[in-house]
Amino acid sequence: MTDRPDHLATRVVVRRLVQVASPSWARLAGAVGLGVAGAMATVGILAGSGYVVDRAAFRPGLGAIAGLLAAVEVLAFLRGPLRYAERLVAHDAAFRSLAHWRVWLYDRLEPLAPAALRDWRSGDLLARVTGDVDTLQDLFLRCLLPVVVTAAASVLAVALSAALLPAAGAVLAVCLAVALVVAPALAVRGGAARGAEAALRGELSAEVVDLLRAAPDLVAYGGDARVLARVEALDQELTRLARRRSWSFGAAAAVVTACLGAAVVGTLAVGIPAAGHHQMGAVLLGVLPLAAVGAFETVPAVALAAVRASDVVAAGRRLLAIDAVPVPVTDPGRPEPLPGAPFDVEVADAHLRYGPGLPFALDGLSLRVPAAQQVAVIGSSGAGKSSLVHTLLRFWPLQAGSASLGGMDLSRLRQRDVRRAISLVDQDAHLFGGTMRANLTLGRPDASDAEIADALRRAQLDEWVATLPDGLGTPVGEGGLQVSGGQRRRIAIARALLAGGSVLVLDEPTAGLDASSGQRLVEEVSRSARGSGTGVLLVTHRESEAVGMDRVVELEGGRVVADGPAGAAPAATG
Amino acid sequence: MSTLAAERRRGGLIDRRLAARVAATRRYLVFAVAVGLVATVSVVAQAVLLGTVVSDAMLRHVRLGSLVPELVGLAAAFAARGLAVWAGESFAQRTSAAVTSALRRQLLRHALALGPTWLAGEQAGELSLVATRGISALDVYFGRYLPQAILAGLAPLGLLGWVAWEDWPSFLILLGLVAVVPLAMVRFGRASAARTRRQWRRLSSLSARFLELLRGLPTLRAFGQEAQGRREVAAATEGLRQTTLGTLRIAFLSALALEFVAGIGTGLVAMVLGLRLLGGTVSLYTALAVLLVSPEVFLPLRRAGAEFHASEEGQAAAERILSVLDAGIPAGGPPAGAGATAGLRPAFRLREEGIRIEGGRVTFPGRAAPVLDGLDLALGSGEHVALLGPSGSGKSTAVAVLLGFVRPDAGRVLVGGLDLQSIDPGAWRRLLAWVPQRPQLVHGTLADNLRLARPDASDNALEEVAELTGLAPMLRGLPQRLDTPVGEGGLTLSAGERQRVAIARAVLRDAPVVLLDEPVAHLDRFSEQRLRASLDGWLEQRTVLVAAHRAELVGRIDRSLELPGREAAEAGTDGSAAALGGAAGNGGAALGGETLGAATGLGGPGGPLGVGGGLR
Repeated sequence: MTDRPDHLATRVVVRRLVQVASPSWARLAGAVGLGVAGAMATVGILAGSGYVVDRAAFRPGLGAIAGLLAAVEVLAFLRGPLRYAERLVAHDAAFRSLAHWRVWLYDRLEPLAPAALRDWRSGDLLARVTGDVDTLQDLFLRCLLPVVVTAAASVLAVALSAALLPAAGAVLAVCLAVALVVAPALAVRGGAARGAEAALRGELSAEVVDLLRAAPDLVAYGGDARVLARVEALDQELTRLARRRSWSFGAAAAVVTACLGAAVVGTLAVGIPAAGHHQMGAVLLGVLPLAAVGAFETVPAVALAAVRASDVVAAGRRLLAIDAVPVPVTDPGRPEPLPGAPFDVEVADAHLRYGPGLPFALDGLSLRVPAAQQVAVIGSSGAGKSSLVHTLLRFWPLQAGSASLGGMDLSRLRQRDVRRAISLVDQDAHLFGGTMRANLTLGRPDASDAEIADALRRAQLDEWVATLPDGLGTPVGEGGLQVSGGQRRRIAIARALLAGGSVLVLDEPTAGLDASSGQRLVEEVSRSARGSGTGVLLVTHRESEAVGMDRVVELEGGRVVADGPAGAAPAATG
Repeated sequence: MSTLAAERRRGGLIDRRLAARVAATRRYLVFAVAVGLVATVSVVAQAVLLGTVVSDAMLRHVRLGSLVPELVGLAAAFAARGLAVWAGESFAQRTSAAVTSALRRQLLRHALALGPTWLAGEQAGELSLVATRGISALDVYFGRYLPQAILAGLAPLGLLGWVAWEDWPSFLILLGLVAVVPLAMVRFGRASAARTRRQWRRLSSLSARFLELLRGLPTLRAFGQEAQGRREVAAATEGLRQTTLGTLRIAFLSALALEFVAGIGTGLVAMVLGLRLLGGTVSLYTALAVLLVSPEVFLPLRRAGAEFHASEEGQAAAERILSVLDAGIPAGGPPAGAGATAGLRPAFRLREEGIRIEGGRVTFPGRAAPVLDGLDLALGSGEHVALLGPSGSGKSTAVAVLLGFVRPDAGRVLVGGLDLQSIDPGAWRRLLAWVPQRPQLVHGTLADNLRLARPDASDNALEEVAELTGLAPMLRGLPQRLDTPVGEGGLTLSAGERQRVAIARAVLRDAPVVLLDEPVAHLDRFSEQRLRASLDGWLEQRTVLVAAHRAELVGRIDRSLELPGREAAEAGTDGSAAALGGAAGNGGAALGGETLGAATGLGGPGGPLGVGGGLR
């Protein structure tokens, strides 16, 4: 998804990013104002103290310089606090925008999860997306703000110089303009090379991770030398690229220094004759070069901002590509009410694929599960098992054929209603940071303690939970209690039982467990579901788990290839 | 930044250790110092020339024409400074690229030398992070912070020296304020450093929490709770903004202190110079020149301060990399193999003498109790032996010993009558086909992963082994068949499918010795039976060791050895192995002297290292 090249113009990307950020303009204006004030304080300190010294050289008496001297001291005192306030206000604004970007991303990804983002489980994709969001905070902080502040401060410094001597103002304006155009351009050239490097570095990372993770297999089969050679070749290429672009950042800094030199020498060159001809007070001669030095102080930040901007725009472009992913399933305009439980579930001649040109993941699949029946769906990776789950949970629409619940076509129901009727125990059995209770009552926030206790008992978790220090209040998930793979799945099962759907869909509930404990888990769930008359659709690649089910259905190539009672080898269908 | 001096000391230490590893480092540091000196000299030249020009033009009404040499000199000083900056920056970037690349190469080679068992578990994950993100962070430390830090140490001293020579009252003012800098850093730096670090960690943990919520989206949707997730994202971000701003208020104080000192310094110098000019005790030239130099005294300190935070991760990474590189090959590491004689042909005598482990003991570093002790294992040519025992009894370690991943700290391993220590490990491993307990797939296609075992295998050969190992039905569902990418960004295989790939790989290897480590832990009974039937022929002529909970996959088992588990040891059995007669399969030879040695110590406090977990 994020790798699809997207040719949004930079202008469009930035406009859209700003739009989503809905920044607090008052805060940004405040930050800009403080920034400009800080930059002008620098100019003021240098130019002012230059004037004081020049003036004092004519020994006019303390009264003549006292006022200005005091002003310089005040500016010197204020500059630090001004910069401090600017940074705080700017960070505040950036963090606020970050919140908007995060919520925006959440809103975009939500209707796409999980089916439209294939390979959802690869944490890499999501990590990259969240990393991109973090990069966006630099848009205001390190791109727009330095540019606007420097532009404003430059204009003011030029105006000051021009007021003293128009020619000096012109010299300063030209030098600043050259620095502000050339330095970022040079830096960006290096930045663009860095983009190519970033791709290479990603490749290198993948190889390094492979090399270290798969080291036993590689060493045992003598493949380590090959992978190591590949890593070193990539590394060398990376070093070569780095060497090639190494001149650009230094060149940008050198250009800034050169332009400053030109401004200092240039203002003196026009100032000395002007002072000689009394077009300007000779006493102002020292002010011109010092004002130039002050004006150039924030210029290097602009070169860095340009580099940062290319990162931000690249990140923004990848994020905005999510806009282009069509939302697979939307609620009908006039949804029908959910028919009364219990439901038969029926899929007829279903065809499903995840994009035009891709093979059909479901290719004429037909399956009817009568209410309260327990069915195992088996098949290898790519047989269509997950696509069947996506169909039933309304994560992805059918291109042809139908899926219905109690005789009502799923497309005429609200997605929420479908998911209330069909409870899913998903492959990852995701636990959220929070308490055990919060995780259990995800589908039924108002569940009573008795209901929770019942679900725990049915998932055979009650004894274990009783041993926890804070019982249901014990934190789990990230940073909480370490739960074993088996317990995590039992929690997911208890959660699904508590949600109270009349069909329980278990999607590879035992992945990652060893065969015997997986089998035990499935048997317990089956027994529990029989007690409450809940239908079960067990999706698994392990045939032996199908033993306790009423029926075993085998999928291959997106259709049913065998259907029969459990226990015996499944009978082939026509 | 906590105290600048302390940081410099710490940084210096890292630099010196890096320099010992990578020769380019020393050259780089020397160059950075030289560049810093050129820049400092040019700052002084600028100040002197500017002061001369302005004071001559103003007080002595010298014409522009007569000042051309000074103006040209001024321009030259700026140009010199620009070139120094350019050269310094370019060289920094080049060198940091070269140094990081060299470090990565050393790190990876050393890690592989430490052996797969050392890498197992968390090591591999953490080391990957260090070798990728950590080394990139080192780039920032090396390319940006280090030159600034060196300049911050040198330039102010040089400039102060010149000021002292030119005008000692200004020198005293500046010296006083520069001396305040470390004090201010201690005062504000200490208060903020720990808090800042904590806060940045919390910021990144917010990123992690956001990531968690996104990962859980399918679950939230399945339970109709997507709106709750949205509220959580908003609330967490807002809550963190507030606490972070609180911390930044303190964290930015150190920058504020630096700015403040620099501002006050310049202002104070200007005031004193102005007053002394009124009194005629200083020349305009001196006043202007000193005035120009005084902000430059603080500039390198401010820049180094600004780069410091960005470099912190890099410093941590450098410490970690150096500590890995300093780690010697530990006991329990792989056999050296370096002095191995290439001429030895272990295969030649393997047929007559088989493989023996005699009195093998393995203790992993940091563990009191050996995971294997007194292991005697003989594997005759063509024999099928099962190594049984509960988790943690050392089965996988025994296999790792045979693979040459682990060097026993007592006893010896004889293959074809030769000590394994004396044989080139690569040559030895070419005779082995291994099915690990947790097979790892490398980035690439299914075919790439199979060809790991035999790079020149034909497509037909791949199809054949896929058929033999029951991968064929899965392949039929994949449009690209064997060319389907697997791993990150590719097809996700179930644990059972990965195990089949590993078995297919082993079959393709066509090696005389087969080591199977829990080969069917993730396959159900039906699949195992089918696989057993189809592999019978392939296994028949080979020497096979299968390590498992129970005899699996291998139809004919000639002998079984049972490794005592933790319970046995804790129950206080007499220390000898619970040896099983060759019951399984065709009922092979009796165990005779093949009993496993003492189980003592196997269940010491903390338990033996679960080798199953150890070889992850």
